[in-house]
Amino acid sequence: MSIIEVNNISKSFRIVKKESGLKNSIKSFFKREYKTIEAVKNISFSIDEGEIVGYIGPNGAGKSTTIKILSGILTPNDGKCSINGYTPWLDRKNYVKQIGVVFGQRSQLWWDIPAIDTFSLLKDIYSIGDEDYERVLNELTDKLNLSDILTTPVRQLSLGQRMRLEIAASLLHEPKILFLDEPTIGLDAVSKQLVRDFIKNINKEKKVTIILTTHDMSDIEALAKRIILIGKGSVLYDGSLLKLKNKYASKVNITVTTKDKIRFKKKGLLETTRIKDGYQFVIDSKELNISSFLNYLTQKISIEDVTIENENTDELIVKLYEEYNI
Amino acid sequence: MKLYIKALKMHIMSELQYKGSFFMSIISQIITFFSYYFVIISLFTKFNNIKGFSLYEVLLCFSIIQFGFAFNEVFARGIDKFDNFIISGKFDQLLLRPKNIILQVLISETDFVKIARLIQSLIVMVIALINLRLEITLLKIFTLILMFISAIIIFFCLFLISASYCFLTVQGLEVRNVLTDGGKQMAQYPIGIFNKGFIFVFTFIVPYAFVNYYPLLYFLGRNNNTIYAFSPLIVFIYLIPCILLFNLGTKKYKSVGS
Amino acid sequence: MKVYLSYFKLKFITGLQYRTAAIAGISTQIFFGLVNVLVYIAFYKSGDSNVSMSLSQTITYLWLNQAFLILIFQFYRDTELYELIKSGNLSYELARPQNLYWMWYFKILATRASQAVLRFLPALIFAFLIPIPYKMSLPVSISSFILFVVALFLGTILITAISTLYPIIVIKTLNEKGVVNIFSAFGDILGGLAVPIPFFPKFIAAFSKYLPFQYVSDLPFRIYIGNIGIKDAFNGIFIQLFWIATLILIGYIVLQKLLKNVSVQGG
Repeated sequence: MSIIEVNNISKSFRIVKKESGLKNSIKSFFKREYKTIEAVKNISFSIDEGEIVGYIGPNGAGKSTTIKILSGILTPNDGKCSINGYTPWLDRKNYVKQIGVVFGQRSQLWWDIPAIDTFSLLKDIYSIGDEDYERVLNELTDKLNLSDILTTPVRQLSLGQRMRLEIAASLLHEPKILFLDEPTIGLDAVSKQLVRDFIKNINKEKKVTIILTTHDMSDIEALAKRIILIGKGSVLYDGSLLKLKNKYASKVNITVTTKDKIRFKKKGLLETTRIKDGYQFVIDSKELNISSFLNYLTQKISIEDVTIENENTDELIVKLYEEYNI
Repeated sequence: MKLYIKALKMHIMSELQYKGSFFMSIISQIITFFSYYFVIISLFTKFNNIKGFSLYEVLLCFSIIQFGFAFNEVFARGIDKFDNFIISGKFDQLLLRPKNIILQVLISETDFVKIARLIQSLIVMVIALINLRLEITLLKIFTLILMFISAIIIFFCLFLISASYCFLTVQGLEVRNVLTDGGKQMAQYPIGIFNKGFIFVFTFIVPYAFVNYYPLLYFLGRNNNTIYAFSPLIVFIYLIPCILLFNLGTKKYKSVGS
Repeated sequence: MKVYLSYFKLKFITGLQYRTAAIAGISTQIFFGLVNVLVYIAFYKSGDSNVSMSLSQTITYLWLNQAFLILIFQFYRDTELYELIKSGNLSYELARPQNLYWMWYFKILATRASQAVLRFLPALIFAFLIPIPYKMSLPVSISSFILFVVALFLGTILITAISTLYPIIVIKTLNEKGVVNIFSAFGDILGGLAVPIPFFPKFIAAFSKYLPFQYVSDLPFRIYIGNIGIKDAFNGIFIQLFWIATLILIGYIVLQKLLKNVSVQGG
């Protein structure tokens, strides 16, 4: 059953045209010229309860506008949206109790005092009962390993520690839906792993529906089975990551260490490069099966070592952006 | 209210993280504020009245207005510094919380250093009252309290108006000071000393006269019309359109973005 | 010298960029000026005074105050510079081959001057165009006008020397909210920005004479309105020169001393 239903949402902004020079600035002081930009146009998708969806696209594609609309901060010009039975931009106070939002680049914690105090304020803001608060806080402390950092002034904590607290802060009221806007930005490998594991965990155990925007493809790979790709304000792809990979990431690098020499042509073999002690081949795995290619090779030469590299997701995304011209 | 007090405690805790600079700032605030009534005292060493008002009468008026202003600075700093919310994007966060926006803005910032002004204005008031040797009735005490409350409200209104202005543009914000600081500068004297045009503007457009003039006349015993005693209540009504304006601004923000 | 002039030029051009702030600032200052003028008119009309300035002189003084406010007020903040000092990154500034004192001095001078250039003319034009009695008057004579210009120029040099002391104090205190703010709050009062010196209660006027603050703007303004005669004006300018030399010397020497300690600490 879908919990988020987005239907033909459009949003355009009017921005002031800025011109340089004293004369122009005086002119624009009295009469402003505007231009309209369409941040998102006719976006539709639906998300089922318990899904994790990666919402990706280059800077300026309309990602954050969409998130702002879905979280009720912005009202769209056009379109319908229903999230857990609410329209986000109507009935704000009741709607926002259903959702949690983490902006990776902005903090909701009070800088000078321990996070536990911010939490206790949030308890009152969301009118969370004492028992629920205790229970949720204990659970979060346990899972996110917060016990040592809850009582330290936030400004003395590392980025990774702060992000764990940010995530906890937005889950205190047990939202059904969680929006994560670049949750791992700037984190070290250990913190990243911890955050990802936690996200997986709450998705599995609590059936929290998660929309994740990020530029870090390893986040997406680790968490989201489904991605929605957005560019120039429109949805370009909506489907599984695996399919996308199969479609685009068919190039495989095969490096072979050998003392023998070989030269041949074959359908699906795109490149052959002679390297220090062997060869590097690039093949199109759709046309040429990897194992049959290796079989073929072993018949011709004696191979000492082989490495096979798939194209990574980052490269895939670059290619995708290129293909869609965004 | 409970929420507000909790937030207040948190602000005090934050502030106490920097004790040294906190107390130094308090001292510098005392001096800055001193310069305000130093002007009035200096002028009264050269003149003995201003349009019939004596030194202590003016100081009483001054203390009420400064109290109202400082009260907002201490307890409602968020609305005064509202442009920061828009610029830093913190306003988005407020929209994500299930509570009234104005309340959230109020609790999100305080400026305890300005307590130095609050206390000084009370001291100035006490000194003025002692020297005025007025006949005090119950209704007069009521009027005085009403004047203080309405002073708080009128500046809150003005901060709301200028906060609403931030939704339109955050450039050239100094203009807002005309409304708030400029108004304060003016209203520390009984509005009646000014020209008719000014009195009109500051009665009907920004109702300062109902804070510091009509009730003052009653309090000082210059006019015994009891309507004057209750005139600060008009400022309470003034609050309504100001809140509506702010809500309109929020709505516009939601449709236009920052 | 040339390098300090280019600091000046750079900061000056930067200052000129803030047009919206300037427009807003002008309108605020004009409004404040108007309110002040109205208050003083109300006072003067309420009976005799024993003050040495006439109403029209006072009004002219008030407008001058507003027009040049940004040039003359004590409360100057270069947050960037203070942050640099407080965060212990002064060594970056030391990495440059110039003398730190003069670098700061010209930066501050340029910031003040560039903002004043944008603001003072519109405010003065307004003050001259409004009707009597609110209007500002012309200087009493050509010689007093020339002396006004000289004294205001020296006043600017003087206030910059005072402002340059502030970051130097911050090196020691590591906090601009304390001593610096207290110092500048006093300076503004004693400089006549809150109320012209002739309105001061006698005892304050008596000791303010021996401090530098009233030679920043009160002196030139009172020369302009004729409250200070030609002969006294020369005396005043002499005192200005004395303070300029003294304060620059103090600032320069103290800064060199403090910097020696900074480098000993290893930075």
